[in-house]
Amino acid sequence: MKPRDRTPRVSALEPAPHPAWTEIRVLAPEGWLELVADALALSPCTSVAFGRPSLASEAAPEGLDYVRTFVPRELDTAQLRAQLESRLAGLAEATGAAELERISVRFLELPPEDYANSWKKTWKPFRVAHFAVVPMDWRGTPRTGDLRLVLEPGGAFGTGRHPTTRGCLRAVEQRVRPGARVLDAGCGNGVLAVASALRGAAHCLGFDIDPAALPYARELAQDNGVHGRCSFRVGGFECLGPLDRDFDGLCANLFADLIQAHAGDLAHRLKPGGWFAISGCRADLRGATLAALDAAGLELEQRSTRGRWDTYVGRRRGPA
Amino acid sequence: MAKEVTGKIKLQCPAGQATPAPPVGPALGSHGVNIAAFVKQFNDATRAQQGLIIPVEITVYKDRSFDFVLKSPPAAVLLKKAAGIEKGSGTVGHEKAVGKVTKAQVLEIAKMKMKDLNARDVEMAARIIAGTARSSGIEVVG
Repeated sequence: MKPRDRTPRVSALEPAPHPAWTEIRVLAPEGWLELVADALALSPCTSVAFGRPSLASEAAPEGLDYVRTFVPRELDTAQLRAQLESRLAGLAEATGAAELERISVRFLELPPEDYANSWKKTWKPFRVAHFAVVPMDWRGTPRTGDLRLVLEPGGAFGTGRHPTTRGCLRAVEQRVRPGARVLDAGCGNGVLAVASALRGAAHCLGFDIDPAALPYARELAQDNGVHGRCSFRVGGFECLGPLDRDFDGLCANLFADLIQAHAGDLAHRLKPGGWFAISGCRADLRGATLAALDAAGLELEQRSTRGRWDTYVGRRRGPA
Repeated sequence: MAKEVTGKIKLQCPAGQATPAPPVGPALGSHGVNIAAFVKQFNDATRAQQGLIIPVEITVYKDRSFDFVLKSPPAAVLLKKAAGIEKGSGTVGHEKAVGKVTKAQVLEIAKMKMKDLNARDVEMAARIIAGTARSSGIEVVG
């Protein structure tokens, strides 16, 4: 008779347990860290981290720094440890560099953790005006009257938390009317165009000189279900055609020097009476920036300041 | 916009094959960075260099967005390329030389790597590169 298999089975419905890891922490002379990393790179642990393990840990002594690699616990054997220790001990002789005799190594057993998701614990959804800015898998319900704006944190194009983005989002909420056409100059990940579309804009056009921004912007529009009403282009003002004008509103979260240089271009794309939200301008450059806006026919109605940053909201002069 | 930097993280990961497992997970997670986003972007950026280990420096901003730059390949990789060999001796520090590089090549690599190595001058960088060559079984000649 076949012996009964007594191995406990993991139900397909239960999440797989997260593996535990051992950290191999080496303190080595600066300059030689790459070589130490090479000595540690025993398959499968080929990735290493350099520098202080965390902001809470002590800085390395003068002239030394940390090299850390990690192995899954089941591969952390006495044999592996001995092998790594011997490779490190051999470095001074192998290179002829006496300072490598000072290398020290520690093995730290880390508890199991789901690293793919654990960072989210500290990532809380937040609210800007009546936008609830939430990650994709957020299961909560926004407050009554709030619009859900899905924004996965990541990339260099902002997470919606920057004071200048918040300033523009407030203006979008107050100014965008259903059916409006909105221009987002220097759109980055397209958050302002997408927020405008969520507020009911019929068409939002974003452009950015950074080609890397485009896929993010398209993905963000898709994630929020407004991709049919948002389009994005790579380039500066030259990517706008003769029909890209008479916008009802415009957002430009740029730098003060760009705003000063392009105030006329911005105004030219806006219909008379159309609103603007301009941010990314340092408060200490306020005088010159406001003068440029005024000269371009852009009339300031509201100014808000958060930290070093100003946001200007107003209208293009002329009959609405 | 100029954003406030809250952290710089230096890693070396296999091109096109980074995962949220350590060291990426704990290193970035402690700064609240979206691990999946970094892994995807790093792998996209390095796909063409599969098989190589790529040093990368990640800058984390106050709003927890991030940016990264790929650094020059590790010195050992550059040395093997200069010596025209696929692999080093495999065992650190060993008897038989498997390739040769000239002093001029060592100096060239030292100049290229000086900043990444954090060496105080080019002489120190050259000493590190020569030591790395020796430990990979590459003889420095000329």
